[in-house]
Amino acid sequence: MSFSVDVLEGARIALGSLLAHRLRTVLTTVGIGIGVATLLAIVGITQGLDASFEAQLASLGSSTLYVAKQPWVQFGNWWEFRNRKPLTLAHVEAVRAQCGPCETVVPLVDEDEDLAFQGNELSAVNVTGTTEDWPRVSGFEVTRGRFLTQTDDDNLRLVAVVGADVADTLFPGVNPVGQTLRVGKKPFTVVGTLGRKGKVLDSSQDLVVVIPFHTFTGFFAGRRSVTIGVSVPRPELLDEAEDALVGILRRARQTPPGKSDDFAINRPEQLASTYQQLTGALYAVALGIGFITLLVGGIGIMNIMLVSVRERTREIGIRRALGARRRTIIVQFMLEAMLVSAVGGLLGTGVGLGGARLVSLVTPLAATVKPLTVLFGVGFAALVGLVFGIWPAARAASLDPVEALRQE
Amino acid sequence: MLIELTDIAREYVVGGETVRALAGVTVHVGKGEWVAIVGQSGSGKSTLMNVIGCLDTPTRGTYRLNGHDVARLSDDELADIRNREIGFIFQNFQLLPRETALANVELPLVYRGVPARERRARAVAALEQVKLANRMTHKPTELSGGQRQRVAIARALAAEPSLLLADEPTGNLDSATGEDIVRLFEQLHGQGHTIVLVTHEPKLAARCPRAVRLSDGRVVGDGPGAQVAFGDPRP
Repeated sequence: MSFSVDVLEGARIALGSLLAHRLRTVLTTVGIGIGVATLLAIVGITQGLDASFEAQLASLGSSTLYVAKQPWVQFGNWWEFRNRKPLTLAHVEAVRAQCGPCETVVPLVDEDEDLAFQGNELSAVNVTGTTEDWPRVSGFEVTRGRFLTQTDDDNLRLVAVVGADVADTLFPGVNPVGQTLRVGKKPFTVVGTLGRKGKVLDSSQDLVVVIPFHTFTGFFAGRRSVTIGVSVPRPELLDEAEDALVGILRRARQTPPGKSDDFAINRPEQLASTYQQLTGALYAVALGIGFITLLVGGIGIMNIMLVSVRERTREIGIRRALGARRRTIIVQFMLEAMLVSAVGGLLGTGVGLGGARLVSLVTPLAATVKPLTVLFGVGFAALVGLVFGIWPAARAASLDPVEALRQE
Repeated sequence: MLIELTDIAREYVVGGETVRALAGVTVHVGKGEWVAIVGQSGSGKSTLMNVIGCLDTPTRGTYRLNGHDVARLSDDELADIRNREIGFIFQNFQLLPRETALANVELPLVYRGVPARERRARAVAALEQVKLANRMTHKPTELSGGQRQRVAIARALAAEPSLLLADEPTGNLDSATGEDIVRLFEQLHGQGHTIVLVTHEPKLAARCPRAVRLSDGRVVGDGPGAQVAFGDPRP
């Protein structure tokens, strides 16, 4: 008897047996389905998190560097970072003069201040002091009015450009341009508004007020470290720019040779790799839980297949007596196990996708599932059936026909 | 010769002790013969039936079935031999309970790889031969004992084996139904089928043209059924 006949006949018998024990089949299917659903939901949420975080980081600018006293993500001696010499405008000038690959260089200082406009209030909003080139580094666009100018900075004018969230919250239904906004205790005239950029890690980039650099240093905290915002023409130039910046700043800050940098060059995509390091372990644990669930489902299949083999011992004996080879019996029981798990896998895929969709509806996480993942889910379930079906099937095939026929 | 059993021994090890079920059995059966193997329980007749049916292999001796040296075959080859050469008829019928009579009769042809259309035609013909054509779509639970045994006989006939091997075929039937089955065997014998019938009932063995009596794993009588079935325990 050929293998294809084995498979056809085996599939027919397997289907018949599964239909004959519907409740048992459904329960086993549910077991494997839960495993696949868990796995798929986890993978979906993970992929969604990664995708949304990548999008968020892209909004920070893919060809931007921020030189600061401290790194964004700190491992090690906080005190050492804290005691570093501040970066100053002189360093900004050195970078502007000497850094070849750098296109735009701006100084940045910031502070959280309370805002108020005609009874509307916002507390602890990021107020950034910078210069006229800032939009080119930050990627913000001016939607209404104008941005800050050199003249604003030279004259320490009390003018401000507000982010979209500030505009919406403090000036509902009013054009903010020309209005007087209270920043801390000082009245500022709003000269422009910024386009919306969205959130990074749940904090809005649009909750911001931008004022001239020297206005900031004059009215708010005076001696503080400046952050140097740098943009390069193309992302490929980031490494070159970083090398140049390290050299310039070490010279400007007279860092002795052999001593490590006493400043940090922060890049948004490094944030991504740090994020992946931190979340990778979490994902691995979640994935592990999914696999264990699937394993439990697989053991359920093995259990039910062993019961099936025991119940059908006489049937196996009859088939063997009438000329079924061992292989024929193995194929029959393997197909039965794989059929149950593939159906479970399909079911679980549906539930898993639904679960991922639900998560993306009720939480801010955008869960996405790639088509390949679905294939993986069903295929993996069938593989589980294969693995956990082997032993029961082998037991069925190795039964002695004489003993099997004697079974009641 | 269809069956040539020469000096067949079969020993089992049960709980560390060796049990000798067959201790050197030599029996030859020609084509078209109807032979009863008779003996009390424990005489070794079931073991002999399993050996003849290629369900079991002897520990010693040679067995040629229709020219095949069966003792040397692999498990798969034995399955193929059972499929082609032997039609089993069991005491408790051994039908698949969830399949129809027709599907049960088709089963050996499925394992032989006969195409579906031909398989069906042959199964129908076999069921007609045992006068069950009107019960083809019934499942075994919907049939009487005698009908079930006739389905089993049809299954054995459908594969057109060289040997019909029956194990207490009337054991689970009332006497009237059993008589019907015996008549069917007589008919099949008349058509030229070779039949080996294993039984502990001397009355049944007596109706066979030839009987072989077993006792303690040895042949203790071989001759016309009417003589050997009841008679002298010595050959």
